[in-house]
Amino acid sequence: MGKKAFVIDVARCVGCYSCQTACKDEHCGNDWTPYAKPQPELGAFWLRLEEHTEGTVPKVRMHYIPRLCNHCDNPKCMAVCECHAITRHEDHDFVIIEPEKCCGCGKCSEACAYGAIYMNQELKIAQKCTGCAHLLDNGFDLPRCVEACPTEAMKFIDLEESAEETEGAVVLKPEEGCKPNVYYKNIPGRFIAGLVYDPVRKEIIEGAKCRLLTGGRRRETTTDLFGDFWFEDLPAGVHDLYIEAEGYAVKKLEGIRTQEGKSVNLGDIAMDPAEEESLPTAEEWEKIKEEVAMGKKTLYP
Amino acid sequence: MKAVKLDVKSVDRRIKGTSFLGMDGGPPVSVDVDKGRMVRLRPYRYDQKRSMDSLSPWKISAKKLEFGPPKKSLPSNMGLSFKTRVYSENRVRYPLKRVDWDPNGERNPQNRGKSKYVRISWEEAAQLIADELKRVNKKYGPEAVLVEADMHAEGKHIYCSHGNQARLLSLLGGYTLQMRNEDSWEGWFWGAKHVWGGTAVGEMAPMINLYPDIAKHSQMLLFWGCDPETTPNAIAGYMASRLCYYLHDLGIKAVYVCPDLNYGAAVHADKWIPVLPCTDAALYLSIIYTWLDEEIYDKEYVKTHVVGQEEFFDYVLGKEDGVPKTPEWASGKCGVSEWTIKALARAWAKLDTSQIIGNGGGLIRGPYSHEPARLAAIALGMQGLGKPGHHQAKMIEWNLDDKYGPMPYVSDVTTRLPGFSDLVRPFDLKRQTYFKVSDEVAEQALKLQGPITAKNTEGPEIDLGAFATRKTSVRGNAGLMELMKYDEHGPIQSIPRCLVAQAILEGHVDWWGLLTFCGPTSQQWLHFHYPAKDCSRIHMIWTDAPCNITCWNDGFQFAKAYQSEEIECIVAQHMTLENDCLMADIILPIVTEKEMGDICEDDGGGTFQAIYRTYPCADPVGESLNDFEAVARVARALGEDYYENYTKSRVWENDEEKLCEMFYSATGLPEKGHSYQEFIENEGGVHFLPRSDIYEKTPAGLFEFYVNPEKYPINTPSGKLEFTSTALKKYFPDDKERPVHPKWIEKGFYHDENISSERAKTYPLLCVSNHGHWRMHAQCDDIKWNREVETMKIRCKDGYQYEPVWLNPIEAQKRGIKHGDIVKIFNERGIVLCGAYVTERLRPGAAYIDHGSRFDPIDPNGIDRGGAINLITPPNVSSKHCAGMVVTGFLVDVQKVTDAEMEEWKRKYPDAFSRKVDEGVGLCLKGWLTEKEPAPGEIPDSPITGAQKEG
Repeated sequence: MGKKAFVIDVARCVGCYSCQTACKDEHCGNDWTPYAKPQPELGAFWLRLEEHTEGTVPKVRMHYIPRLCNHCDNPKCMAVCECHAITRHEDHDFVIIEPEKCCGCGKCSEACAYGAIYMNQELKIAQKCTGCAHLLDNGFDLPRCVEACPTEAMKFIDLEESAEETEGAVVLKPEEGCKPNVYYKNIPGRFIAGLVYDPVRKEIIEGAKCRLLTGGRRRETTTDLFGDFWFEDLPAGVHDLYIEAEGYAVKKLEGIRTQEGKSVNLGDIAMDPAEEESLPTAEEWEKIKEEVAMGKKTLYP
Repeated sequence: MKAVKLDVKSVDRRIKGTSFLGMDGGPPVSVDVDKGRMVRLRPYRYDQKRSMDSLSPWKISAKKLEFGPPKKSLPSNMGLSFKTRVYSENRVRYPLKRVDWDPNGERNPQNRGKSKYVRISWEEAAQLIADELKRVNKKYGPEAVLVEADMHAEGKHIYCSHGNQARLLSLLGGYTLQMRNEDSWEGWFWGAKHVWGGTAVGEMAPMINLYPDIAKHSQMLLFWGCDPETTPNAIAGYMASRLCYYLHDLGIKAVYVCPDLNYGAAVHADKWIPVLPCTDAALYLSIIYTWLDEEIYDKEYVKTHVVGQEEFFDYVLGKEDGVPKTPEWASGKCGVSEWTIKALARAWAKLDTSQIIGNGGGLIRGPYSHEPARLAAIALGMQGLGKPGHHQAKMIEWNLDDKYGPMPYVSDVTTRLPGFSDLVRPFDLKRQTYFKVSDEVAEQALKLQGPITAKNTEGPEIDLGAFATRKTSVRGNAGLMELMKYDEHGPIQSIPRCLVAQAILEGHVDWWGLLTFCGPTSQQWLHFHYPAKDCSRIHMIWTDAPCNITCWNDGFQFAKAYQSEEIECIVAQHMTLENDCLMADIILPIVTEKEMGDICEDDGGGTFQAIYRTYPCADPVGESLNDFEAVARVARALGEDYYENYTKSRVWENDEEKLCEMFYSATGLPEKGHSYQEFIENEGGVHFLPRSDIYEKTPAGLFEFYVNPEKYPINTPSGKLEFTSTALKKYFPDDKERPVHPKWIEKGFYHDENISSERAKTYPLLCVSNHGHWRMHAQCDDIKWNREVETMKIRCKDGYQYEPVWLNPIEAQKRGIKHGDIVKIFNERGIVLCGAYVTERLRPGAAYIDHGSRFDPIDPNGIDRGGAINLITPPNVSSKHCAGMVVTGFLVDVQKVTDAEMEEWKRKYPDAFSRKVDEGVGLCLKGWLTEKEPAPGEIPDSPITGAQKEG
């Protein structure tokens, strides 16, 4: 058995909590010493499903991120453990807190960058996901969370055999340098969305061209048959939006902020009619020419 | 660390069901058992003992993408966490008697819902019930006992959850039947049936081959009041989740029309149109107006496939009432902008569009729910219903009456046994009902249904579709059918469930329709009265479905009815102490399905259809017994004769193996060469039904009708889609609230629940109440693992886990409410306390709360802490001729509960606040026991202690 990893496709997670439930089913009320003592029924989530709701009515989207121990290559918990209770499983590389060695000092819990270690107040030990090592070592082929996932959003892979599964995936907080073995795909960035309409005719405008400028980067889309546009997977930052549609004045919406991790629904955006371009009268034209000749004005700005 | 050889307790592995529906077994799970205790519940892995190919999985292919069943079952979260429910602190562990109910002295009915319970022995409980039955029967007659025994529960078969008491009472001369009203398909039954006939429940029929066709031909799906991530879960698990992703991958646009960003919309929607709760009729009318105005509907189809369109179109265009139903008109009512209404109308006209439903949802469970349901059917009709890609399809009960389509649903081998697995499942194959209509009603039926023939002399003929007894069952085991027979004294009096409280409080009630909980349109013309001729009013209630307070209409009215002097004794039998149990005088403890052996089928999971033998996975908790055995104790107390008859000369006694074999043979499988012995030898009893390819060869949905309506008429009087109903014109031409063609009913005699109402000045929010995401109706409110998820419960500052009520930040801010505050949701009918869940997942103008949370009365006559929202749902039926219930789309307000207010309640109702509440499970048995604890050793304290059987 080689080194293992979890690969989680966030775009395929419906938020059913079966993973969190299966984890509790395996570990609450069941004692798997030396791998783990029971997980408390309340307050501990060795696998915790994290909910994210983005946007405002009616442009709202959700995604869920299953959070568990990252079984890091550079685990901070192991580094701070003074009683050598945190070891690496020889076969699949899981990071295990051995309950019989743990002194309950809580340093590992503080050190973990991911909040994955829970202190069991009753047993006075630190606890977390074991990768269901007790099962894998005794005839099972999958950790319980992975097996319970109905959409197969969670995968459990052998890193040597199927390294390609992690292609395009990210790890959480790479800056911490822990080198996690839990990979995520399709964690969405922020979005900017809205609906474009004509307030006079009371009609949506289909096919309006929407340009979004972020620093030097330019993104483009057009409104769909509901008048909607979506710019998805945006980084945090400040954006300028320009909406153009034939017969309407260009709409400028500048300084849209997706900082603080917020997506933005611009709501229903009313387009104004293009200004009537009336030709100058002969008298006005003479005056303009004069000004151009004097260098006060350029004809083609 | 090194790998350690450890006993992970996986040697004793048993298969179990996970359904909460009551007839299906649901997606199976593998349960590991150790010393009478459940260790773990996992999805059943189809491929571990056999190859997937050997199961010949069904397949949908479109645009080079394939979809089929996965290698494991897809049980719901609730099914996977059932261990907590078996060992819940909320379990009824032994028989209980209300402390101040004395059958020989003061009965104190006014204290029901307030006074606590004492433990009694099984002998005492059985004798008390037997004595009451005899007394009530002698004094008032057999109809004085009301049997509440319909609806859902765990899927149990050989000892079923429902109707055992009815079996016993039929031996005492009869009883009054609480008739299950249409629940979860109200609008389809009372409305859409008049447009398209449809299934027994009123949804589009036939449903065969729909998803393969949708995959190939649909461009847009309208999830209208439908949550594919909620409603199917507890019945069918997560096949709908997978299907939604598949349809998305095919590039089909998913548009969700619902006030809330429901759990499906949250992850699957391409477009969310947040309509104000239960104003969908206005939205539909304006879409139809746009189609008429711009002539963008299938005119040729309407000419050849529809009757009564002129009258209806005149109404839409304003020729009838002077009000054109324009998008501008609708926008003010439904809260959707004019431009979005027009865009939706045009998109629907342009793209091949199907409507996706999950049975219920807000669309068809509100006031006058027949109107939006009829309009949905009409709108589909105007765009060529039956054309490839143009259907109504379900995300639950796959294909319903049509067995294969391709996700399997009920089949010929399904043990749809009569009058037992669900009380209202019909007995008589010919009449398809076991309820004997009174002479008065039979006479009406004859008049309505034309010439008297042999087949209708006993009452109307009813086709119950998927809910009917199978001929295979009869053929498969005649002996079993004989055992099931108990209708010598079948009920001659019934009360629709939604009118039970009114019947008790007013002493009389009348209604139309409801001969059974579903069936043909013709039963809707029958007029019923309570009390029926020569029948007593009810004076005793025996329930095995104690959830009227939390699942039906106007629960506070139910609580009041249960406190009536008229009701001298209430008996409840249930696994957990909740809801109507708290109004009972005697409570009998019942085992969960996990504690018994059975024979089940996976009918609705949508993966593979299977019959499986299950074995107990846990010792019975406390003194609990199965429902059949519990009633048998009462039969014994009545006398040995009753016991003999109840058990059919002891054939039906506690012999699990014998009964399983009988039930197995009723599937008809032995006839096909699969003996019980062979069945049992395969993994201890698993049989997969062969895949049928019928669907591949059958035109999808109403395609034949689409092609040739004359040759393939639909099930309406005219054989065509009826935009104006010929039948309603004949029977109820003057009904203003369910007119001959659908209308927008702003306000009527039966309901006044619109934002334009005077009442809206006091109660300005429209309440949306869906099928619970974390519960199956009243089931599973005590799963402690889920109660830590905020959409399930919010632990507020007093430590109590409140039911969340969703509010948009705009509405919360107006009221000074912050996320996590204790709030009250209320109207004239009462107050329900909740925890504020402030979210962008709900539009302004609405409040959202799931139904089914447990009743925790502060005052059973007006204040609840448990979050049981149906306590304040409207009392009236859907409308005059429609005995449906209204459980969503009603006016409320939400306000913060101040500390002073809470203190005042605590002073006034000290008992309610001093009841023990478990930290994880919430309401619990201990909270309702008297101070006097039984002697140590009497109560199995540890939740996992084995049975304490009687000596």
